[in-house]
Amino acid sequence: MSILEVNHIEKHFGPTKVLNDISFSLEAGQALSIIGSSGSGKTTLLRCLNFLERPNGGTIAVNGSVIFDAADPSTQIEKDIREKRLHFGLVFQNFNLFPQYTALQNVTLARELRAKKKGGESREEILQAGLALLEQMGLADRANHYPHQLSGGQQQRVAIARALALHPDILCFDEPTSALDPELTGEVLRVIRSLAEHKTTMIIVTHEMAFARDVADQLIFMDSGVIVEQGDPKEVIDHPKEERTRQFLARYADN
Amino acid sequence: MFIPVTLSLLEGMVTTLKLFFLTLLFALPLGLVISFGSMSRFTPLRWLVQTVVWIIRGSPLMIQILIIFYGPGLIFGLPLLPRFTAALVAFAVNYACYFSEIYRGGIQSVPQGQYEAGQVLGMTKTQIFFKITLLQVVKRIVPPMGNEMITLVKDTSLVRVISVYELIWMGETYIKKGLIWPLFYTAVFYLILSGILTILLNQCEKKLDYFK
Repeated sequence: MSILEVNHIEKHFGPTKVLNDISFSLEAGQALSIIGSSGSGKTTLLRCLNFLERPNGGTIAVNGSVIFDAADPSTQIEKDIREKRLHFGLVFQNFNLFPQYTALQNVTLARELRAKKKGGESREEILQAGLALLEQMGLADRANHYPHQLSGGQQQRVAIARALALHPDILCFDEPTSALDPELTGEVLRVIRSLAEHKTTMIIVTHEMAFARDVADQLIFMDSGVIVEQGDPKEVIDHPKEERTRQFLARYADN
Repeated sequence: MFIPVTLSLLEGMVTTLKLFFLTLLFALPLGLVISFGSMSRFTPLRWLVQTVVWIIRGSPLMIQILIIFYGPGLIFGLPLLPRFTAALVAFAVNYACYFSEIYRGGIQSVPQGQYEAGQVLGMTKTQIFFKITLLQVVKRIVPPMGNEMITLVKDTSLVRVISVYELIWMGETYIKKGLIWPLFYTAVFYLILSGILTILLNQCEKKLDYFK
């Protein structure tokens, strides 16, 4: 059984169709990369999975149970949506760390708020878990720094730790290195690569073709809101079947 | 003469201070409520609130004080409000409208990504507002709020149009006795007050300097 099954997702903003009949599935422990030019709908797709946008059609199932069905309002109750979001983690292009909290507080905040409401973990446990995550990101010595005291690459790694803190089933990355200087992308990609090696289920929207080819188990190429081609990353990138994929990759090779 | 004048001006100062602090006490939270109204997604409410803000900010505070004091009696034949209460109502409403626009600017300047980051971490709207947005808003609005507060210190002198015995009123009573300097002397009191405020606001800004 797939950990994630997305079926016939549609999304339009007014008359503009941004996502058209998007279907794919993802196995636990696998990494899926989504490539495509700007405006192809990649980011909107991630935002739909995280319920920052509501799809106008289609279903999303996690671990076999349908958590969202555009045709069934009972799957769209705001309070439940909040819980359903926790199946997914999202790392943003521009980090969106909370500026008034230290790196560690950024990582622990949401979990502390949950523990306060629902009981369970002690503050001490949450802190230790937060520190462990920062250490995993190579940021143990930056735990008490505020975001503005960190480099872009460090901020993004804190953001990854923050997303991991709530143990999402599927971790989503929205162009995680696009806002970074070229010399800082490496440290973030290394972290994502090691997550892949540890069998973290991930969806990575990226412009880093070489990275997608190496790290992902599955690749989707999107254009104008549809999935044009999907399959094994090496296969799709080295031997694209569709004309549109070829054009896109050729433009990339030129740059 | 200096000491008795100072003492009687201090008496006026007490009224001025009372009006100042009570206005802040009511206008700061009321302004937040008004700012939510002016950002409401419910269009009729938004228009209503924006119209009220336009009227209050667009007409002289002195007229508003007179309307609240004399209006209920002239229009409905109701008993007059106590003078100080009428003044306080006019000030609280007037300043709440100014504050609401400052809040609105502060709230809208927090990047959308901050709300979204909170949402994807499963936080409720209330948690996002109090744990993430609020402090960032406060940091952004301290300088413009400081401006308004210093204006408020001096605006309090308007209440003498309905004979509330505040600082300038006390200074003016000496003119009838042939003394002009006590009136000018009142400025020193305002200066001291706004000086203290400036220091407090600077400290506030410094306290919030730890993040960007």
